[in-house]
Amino acid sequence: MKLKKWVKTLIFYEIALGMKATLSHLLHYKPITLQYPHEKKSLPSNYRGMLALLRYDDGTEKCVGCDLCEAACPSRVIRVVSAEVPGEPTKRYSKEYYMDMTRCLFCGLCVEACPVDALGMTQEYEWAVYDKRQLHLNKEQLLAIGDRNFPIREKRLEFQHPNVAYFNVGFKELPQKEV
Amino acid sequence: MDTGIRLALTLGQISAVMVAVLLTVAALTLLERKVLGWMQDRMGPMEVGPYGILQPVADGLKLFFKEDIIPAGANKLMFSLAPILSLVPALIGFAVIPFGPDWTVDVGGVNFKPFVITDINIGILYILAFASIGAFGIILGGWSSNSKYSLLGGLRSAAQLISYELNVGLSIIGVLLLSGSLSLVTITNAQAGGFWNWYFFAFPFPQAVAFVVFIISSVAETNRTPFDLPEAESELVAGFFTEYSGMRFAFFFMAEYANMILVSCVATVLFFGGWHAPFEFLQGPESWHWLTGMIWFTIKVYGFLFLFFWLRATLPRLRYDQLMRFGWKVLLPIALGNIVVTSLFAYIFPGN
Repeated sequence: MKLKKWVKTLIFYEIALGMKATLSHLLHYKPITLQYPHEKKSLPSNYRGMLALLRYDDGTEKCVGCDLCEAACPSRVIRVVSAEVPGEPTKRYSKEYYMDMTRCLFCGLCVEACPVDALGMTQEYEWAVYDKRQLHLNKEQLLAIGDRNFPIREKRLEFQHPNVAYFNVGFKELPQKEV
Repeated sequence: MDTGIRLALTLGQISAVMVAVLLTVAALTLLERKVLGWMQDRMGPMEVGPYGILQPVADGLKLFFKEDIIPAGANKLMFSLAPILSLVPALIGFAVIPFGPDWTVDVGGVNFKPFVITDINIGILYILAFASIGAFGIILGGWSSNSKYSLLGGLRSAAQLISYELNVGLSIIGVLLLSGSLSLVTITNAQAGGFWNWYFFAFPFPQAVAFVVFIISSVAETNRTPFDLPEAESELVAGFFTEYSGMRFAFFFMAEYANMILVSCVATVLFFGGWHAPFEFLQGPESWHWLTGMIWFTIKVYGFLFLFFWLRATLPRLRYDQLMRFGWKVLLPIALGNIVVTSLFAYIFPGN
């Protein structure tokens, strides 16, 4: 046994073994690299990327300014300024809607919390910027992100009165028009 | 007139060799990254040019335009001298390497050897002497930077180079005993006729053991993995060139690669027959020896350079005490034993 060990040391057995391993990787060259800017990974459909505000198919905003996303957000990304729709005292909307994406951790709690599905998570992730202030998004920017990522919009439910702030979640059991 | 022609020829030769060596250095920076990448299932540099082949150009341009920083408290003279002291000895060794057949051409009454810059009769000694001076560049660079990482790297390299230079010197003595000459041209000529005449396999006593000692020691001498303690990036930031940037850093970098090439050339010449092909018929007719000789020399040198990369991809770094123990307690006795056995064989079988 001692002799075997000696012989192995003398002929660099372990080093030869390691060098064989590296050489076999060289000869069976199969890189696992993804050449990122040129090739991109296909994302899972439930990928939690950039947040966006959505619209109904008639172009009106879904957001009813209920502030639930602001309450749900663990890192205080969202700030909503809610207001009455002018001339329609029963209906509210978000007058201003800000997201500070520098703080966002993409947990998706705001999307879960939204009663009207006004928030969506897109597949966008290339949001590196030179100036951090470009990540403070306002309502128009968020709607634009939603517009370019969700071209197929949800239909406004037909029995919803235009003057009523309507919460989708409360009427799940009622018949809904097919989308 | 003769002096003028000789000067012009020699300068032309020197510039040809310099250009060849520096181009090889540039190629090596890319090749090393590529080979390492392939061995680690990566791609290596891919962005600059097709398959990243222009990466050395981009690296060179970047280093050239980088700010040249001299740290506060550094010894300015030594700091700027050290990279030059490190690069020049690495390049100067190529003066005695025979790249092709030992021909003498008569150019306007001047005897001119086209494939070796100068055939001095102490060639290998000259290379060893200048390799030792290269250590000064590293030590001075480490000391003059006024940084503890650099100093530690310099100290380590001082100890390492001294220990392993000894082994390099002792391991080649077997070859010198068999060839009876210190001139690299004579040593190459003695290995003509086929691979069984190369000193790695040569008849009285094959120098295979000496070759292994030589390769291990030269890996240590060129500060390459697994003996890269002077520049251990995971321990000492970058070792002796921590504080260097821009062209001065490039000089150290080029010195390392030039040393690698030089060591590969010396190993080729001493143990693997220099420009001689493994079989006579592969050498081609006499008039083609200059071409086949250069090709075989290049193949062998690149083989050794590949071995360097291969070792780097495989082996982790040695601990400092292991390094010292290995050098003094293992390699040195082996090298000494090789001298004894070789001289015995050379005595018993004289004339080989």
